[in-house]
Amino acid sequence: MTKIIKKYTYLFVSFFKASLMAELEFRFNIAARIVTDIVWYIAQLSVFEVLFRHTENLSGWTLPETRVFMGLLFVTDSIFMMLFSENLDRMGEKVRRGELDLLLVKPVNSQWMMSFQKVSVAYIGNFLISSAWLAWSLSQIESFKPINTLWLLLTVPIGLSIVYAIRFLTSATALFFTRADAINYIWYQVYRLGTRPDTIFPQILRYMILTVMPIAFLASVPAQIILGKSGPQLLVLGGTLSILLVYASSRFWKYGLKSYSSASS
Amino acid sequence: MLGCARLAALQQLEYRFNLLADTMIQPFVVGLVEITLWMAFFASSGQAELAGFGREYYLSYALWAAFISRVSTSWMYESLMIQDIELGTVNSVLVRPISFFEYYLGQLMGYKVLTTAISLMAPITLCLFLDLPVSLSRLPLALALTFYYLILVHVISMIIASLGFFFTRIHHLTVAKNITLWMLTGEFFPLDIAPEPFKSILTALPFSSAVFRPVGYLTERLPVSTIYEGFLSVTIGLLVLGPVAALLWNAGRRRYSGTGA
Repeated sequence: MTKIIKKYTYLFVSFFKASLMAELEFRFNIAARIVTDIVWYIAQLSVFEVLFRHTENLSGWTLPETRVFMGLLFVTDSIFMMLFSENLDRMGEKVRRGELDLLLVKPVNSQWMMSFQKVSVAYIGNFLISSAWLAWSLSQIESFKPINTLWLLLTVPIGLSIVYAIRFLTSATALFFTRADAINYIWYQVYRLGTRPDTIFPQILRYMILTVMPIAFLASVPAQIILGKSGPQLLVLGGTLSILLVYASSRFWKYGLKSYSSASS
Repeated sequence: MLGCARLAALQQLEYRFNLLADTMIQPFVVGLVEITLWMAFFASSGQAELAGFGREYYLSYALWAAFISRVSTSWMYESLMIQDIELGTVNSVLVRPISFFEYYLGQLMGYKVLTTAISLMAPITLCLFLDLPVSLSRLPLALALTFYYLILVHVISMIIASLGFFFTRIHHLTVAKNITLWMLTGEFFPLDIAPEPFKSILTALPFSSAVFRPVGYLTERLPVSTIYEGFLSVTIGLLVLGPVAALLWNAGRRRYSGTGA
């Protein structure tokens, strides 16, 4: 087991170095990515900043609490973008162009290779900026107990695993369909449901984003837990769902590979 | 240009599920998320009105904004324009008896006409079914402004694509530009509820003609004069950005040497 962990850690470090070198070739691109995400952060924040000028409470969330929610969303999103986004976004293209064949012949788990081959190093900048925003927004809440931030060690990986697994499942449909773009579009819309606190949604939709499509674990549940608005019981559900979904993604990948016919020349 | 428009429409019809996702599913989910936000706002705040308009006006606005914003955005064609310049396939357009600008404008318009025809069925049906405030007789003028605004969007796309002659990777500019416009157009909330000075700045910019003005007019929030102001504001935008696009394009072409791709 230790040998396997060592092997994958070494591989990840190698991928990281290769990605860093590749990205440093295009420095303007790195700056553009960081700026793009900052604009996205401002866009998301502006909605709540404007709404809270007209009310003090939005389905149980105050403005400072909503800022914490957004901070968690940005932090988790930046990690997702750094590790998985580009790899999973390009999965369809890799399948169509036959690049998948090259991954399949390597003595490494193909799902792992497909998920981690490229690290978007530019998002380290976004991670730092969003972490600073999160720290500032938490400092604005008087009743906040700093010890609660330890929950992030559990909530963030759970949220990331869930988002990764769902995104992987949607991307892996490329093994069955020539163009799975539409399914990817739908993923982005489902993701949008996670960019709002879950309590604003009607009961049925809220239930769905906590169970069937558990995107609420991206930021909503972690924010509720570290703010003490909800007990850690939801984490048990989140943890179980994350394990089940990652397992399902692995099974689905293996099943899809059976119907995959090589396209490379 | 009409031929290019027809070509774009036919290409889109090749992948019907993608078209359906693009024109119906995406805006429907976006509308749903925004509508729930407004429902939560009115339920939590205890207010019956915001800036003189009740809950139904905001629900109608959120629904229409999601669909109209799809019409007034250009992702795909801008990416194709950039790709053409990056890969050198721009050569195949340059030798045609139509300019690069017209070639892609024709395709953009053809695609948008098709998108509009399909996607607007959903908000019309939902508004009638849910009895949300909307004046369908105002739809032609509102759409006329949106399509006029699309010319401005295309000019901005020309500017970004022309930068491809000077820089190696510029795809992220498209994303940055679209997210910025997304914020400035009024898709998230009616721009007139923003605090000053943002309210005055945002409503004066031509980007408010993408969503805020047409949707505000359509949902009876704004008078017809705002549509005329929108036409004027977009015209000023075209007069300012048009020469910039032409300048960059011509400078880029002079610098570019085709490799026969």
